[in-house]
Amino acid sequence: MSHLLKNKNLKELAKIYDWVSMCTHCGNCKYGYEYGAATNFAAMLCVQGDKFNFDSYRGSRGKVSLARSLLHNRIGWSDKVAHVLFTCTSCGACQQMCETDIKPWILRMFETLRYEAWKQNVAIPENIKAWSSTIGTLYNPYKEPHENRLDWLPSDVRASLPKKAEYIYFAGCTASYRRKQLARATVSLLQKLKVDFTVVEDEWCCASPLLRTGQYDLAAKFVEHNKALPEKYGASTFITTCSGCYRTLGRDYTMDAPEGYADKYGKMTGVKVLHTTHLLEEMLKKGEIEFTGSFNKKVTYHDPCHLGRHAEVYETPRNVLKAVPGLELVEMYRNRKFSFCCGAGGGVRGGFADYSLETAGKRVKEAEATGAELVTSACPFCYTNLADAIELNKSPLKMEDVVEIIEPIVRRK
Amino acid sequence: MARGNNEILANLEQIVGPEYVSNEEADLQPYTWDMTWAEPRMPDYVVMPKTVTEIQRILRLANHRKIPVVPYCNGTNIGGLCVPEEGGIIMDLKKMDRILKIDPETCYAVIEPGVSHAAFSAALKATNPQWKGEEFSKGFEFGWGVHPPSASVLAMAINHGIGHLNGRLGINSQLMSSMEVVLPTGEVAKIGSCAYSDSWHSFLPLPRMDGLFTGWLGTTGIVTKLGVWIFPIRPYRDVLTIAAASAEDITNYMVRWRHYSLCDEVTAVSWWLAQIPIVFPYSPKPADAPEFFSYTVISGWSEEELAYKRKMWKEVVEKERAKGTKLIDFEYPPEAKKGRTELPSRIVGSTKNYSKSCGGGIAWPGTFAPCKSWPILYEKWKEIYIRHGLSPATRFTDYQGAHYGMLRCMTPFNKRDPASVQAARDAMVECVRAGLPEGMLPYKPPVEYQNELNAVADAGYLYLMAKIKDMLDPNNIMNPGKLGIR
Ligand SMILES: Cc1cc2nc3c(=O)[nH]c(=O)nc-3n(C[C@H](O)[C@H](O)[C@H](O)COP(=O)(O)OP(=O)(O)OC[C@H]3O[C@@H](n4cnc5c(N)ncnc54)[C@H](O)[C@@H]3O)c2cc1C
Ligand code: SF4
Ligand code: SF4
Repeated sequence: MSHLLKNKNLKELAKIYDWVSMCTHCGNCKYGYEYGAATNFAAMLCVQGDKFNFDSYRGSRGKVSLARSLLHNRIGWSDKVAHVLFTCTSCGACQQMCETDIKPWILRMFETLRYEAWKQNVAIPENIKAWSSTIGTLYNPYKEPHENRLDWLPSDVRASLPKKAEYIYFAGCTASYRRKQLARATVSLLQKLKVDFTVVEDEWCCASPLLRTGQYDLAAKFVEHNKALPEKYGASTFITTCSGCYRTLGRDYTMDAPEGYADKYGKMTGVKVLHTTHLLEEMLKKGEIEFTGSFNKKVTYHDPCHLGRHAEVYETPRNVLKAVPGLELVEMYRNRKFSFCCGAGGGVRGGFADYSLETAGKRVKEAEATGAELVTSACPFCYTNLADAIELNKSPLKMEDVVEIIEPIVRRK
Repeated sequence: MARGNNEILANLEQIVGPEYVSNEEADLQPYTWDMTWAEPRMPDYVVMPKTVTEIQRILRLANHRKIPVVPYCNGTNIGGLCVPEEGGIIMDLKKMDRILKIDPETCYAVIEPGVSHAAFSAALKATNPQWKGEEFSKGFEFGWGVHPPSASVLAMAINHGIGHLNGRLGINSQLMSSMEVVLPTGEVAKIGSCAYSDSWHSFLPLPRMDGLFTGWLGTTGIVTKLGVWIFPIRPYRDVLTIAAASAEDITNYMVRWRHYSLCDEVTAVSWWLAQIPIVFPYSPKPADAPEFFSYTVISGWSEEELAYKRKMWKEVVEKERAKGTKLIDFEYPPEAKKGRTELPSRIVGSTKNYSKSCGGGIAWPGTFAPCKSWPILYEKWKEIYIRHGLSPATRFTDYQGAHYGMLRCMTPFNKRDPASVQAARDAMVECVRAGLPEGMLPYKPPVEYQNELNAVADAGYLYLMAKIKDMLDPNNIMNPGKLGIR
């Protein structure tokens, strides 16, 4: 009998075999589709399948099948297995399409497979291994010194921020080290909106890159450390402009499996996690924000997977954009739950830069086709990949984060 | 781990390019199994051709080296038909995914094998029927089944697939109009009107050579292009429902109703199939619940046309009731109604309705049978299923007029439990055996059913079949083992 759990060495994977075995191999997850009176959508959504073709790479079916083949002892570990596992961006499009009981476990299964891969002698992408070897001491995956984490913050602003506050602005590693203007824009925005917030010098990586690449053991101290920050700074809320941090703090830290990692690291309780666009939407709704200028451009919004499919926040950033005077919002064909990933997630940007940028290039082309002058998003990581692809492809598009659009033209009423 | 041999791999790489061939087990593993009980078998290579020329070259190589070739699109045939019995090459045709033509005047389309139901339905919905520039109505449709939208339209049609228009127009192989095929020995042939011009509108009045590649489960060649008739979407649609206390009663009603050829589809499902997901393992239905629920889809060009069809349907129900047929009124849940009128559907097409959480296995005795046999076989099948601890989740569907229809039992099972797998397989094979004398024939049959079929087939039929197979595929490279002969 070929469907018996024979490989007991893969302990983490074996633990979720009850769910893995619910997959019927139907292939719904290989293609995005919805039909109905008001809808007529059909498009490839799987970034990985779009590039690497074979069914092993297409949607969750290939990976579930891989998990089962390993658990049933029908295939062994190899570099190719690692390639299949680490070229998936964890974008979650396949999960959207699945309808059986494995559905909520799909992303967790990808991460569990990667966890198992680290214990094998297989080709984990070199770059992932490189940042993993230093993240434990530098607390960021960019191999930057921790002491420089707040370099983005002008010293006068830093001096003006309270020690304790209601909100902690959690900038995240990408904004702190690579997209500093986004962190600065966020702080300026929060100041303009008169939000009681602070920025903390002992922020560590939220652990998103660790969890997404299955490095459970290493992730533990990061979760533990960051979880303690609100109490230390008297805060009730984390606010972040990074979708990756939002997903990690808001779900991995706070929810039970399979959505979160409470089973491994315990639950963060009594702390709210907001994306900056949540706060903006809320204040707009209450009439607390006033626009002081306009943004006269045609704009298309790219859904970050971690904010969109992972956390189901689709309308909030759109509502914010729609409120901006002069801004004309146009949609790409693939949007919301049927969005196409920028290609950076799941460790792919670090592990396979060329493929990651090629994917971003596909998304940039789609954005161009809307006739927009500018593509916006709500994540510094998507920003980085899309902006790089814009440059690489000499696209006429401009890239700005939602926060960058809003910040110059708002004030608190 | 790599399989096969490096020389063949290099040859295949030369043909399709290294990106489109693999012999790595990690890439081969999704092609080893499907949702049925078929034992997984490892192929040696997977290859993804993009052109007809590449397919020709692959088949010539395979013939020369006597390597099995299994045509593959999505592998969701529910028959283990793409599981490579003897290893060899999986020819994954997904890269050939062009819709080559949609002719809105002659009402046909030409598609490649990798065109999914999802892509085809989206394209057809966006094309309007017209004549000399004047648009008549909005959108076209084809016979959409309840399979995953990622499944291939071509693979479905050439294997006698069943869609939502089968009551009005017949099964999908009856809607094919022309084809191009690469023979196992590498030659390309066009069949139907496309053999004479670039018009792919009809097989008739030519000899029906398409029959050499229809219903053969990929054992006689690779169909590389298919012309299919497409149909204007009728703007008015309704679903009418009725239930019955027995298979006999529901069959009486269905036969009378479809006699008038007024519906797109009439289907009945047993109580167990009406549950979402199907009850697994078997448990009895509540005593007061109807045994069968039936829906029929009517469509039309005006409300008046629909009103007429509703009136006729009511008459049928009244006539049957007057005769003593016990029909029970029931309301179709809105979600189910939506599913029926908005096919293909990722929800209806997902396996959730059948096997949401029972352990990954699905199979069926899916058969074509004379309607007369439905109640007889339902009682037999029910006894067999319950004896094996399975729910008799049975479906009857009429195909175009009074001739025959589907008799099928969707069967979830737990792949992790050898006893559950065995029970499912045994029950289904027994059902097939019980049905054959009643005129029932399994479609897309797994090997086990083929063996049952061959055991009772007319000797001349088998002789001819073997002769055709030998003539087309002298080295028996095409999907070997699936016909139970050769
Ligand atoms: C939940 C569920 C519901 C379903 N409901 C329906 C339904 O309502 N109606 C229906 O008809 N089917 C149904 N099916 C069965 C199946 O999905 C369809 O028949 C489908 O279209 C098969 O497509 P595929 O891409 O999976 O084909 P595959 O499984 O890849 O191929 C099917 C067969 O065709 C052969 N083949 C593939 N391509 C070629 C080619 N180019 N030339 C020659 N041979 C080829 C293969 O070797 C194989 O024998 C259902 C399946 C599921 C899982
Ligand atoms: S998560 Fe995204 S890239 Fe990964 S398999 Fe699913 S759809 Fe493909
Ligand atoms: S993961 Fe879900 S959608 Fe994909 S094959 Fe399995 S059951 Fe089907």
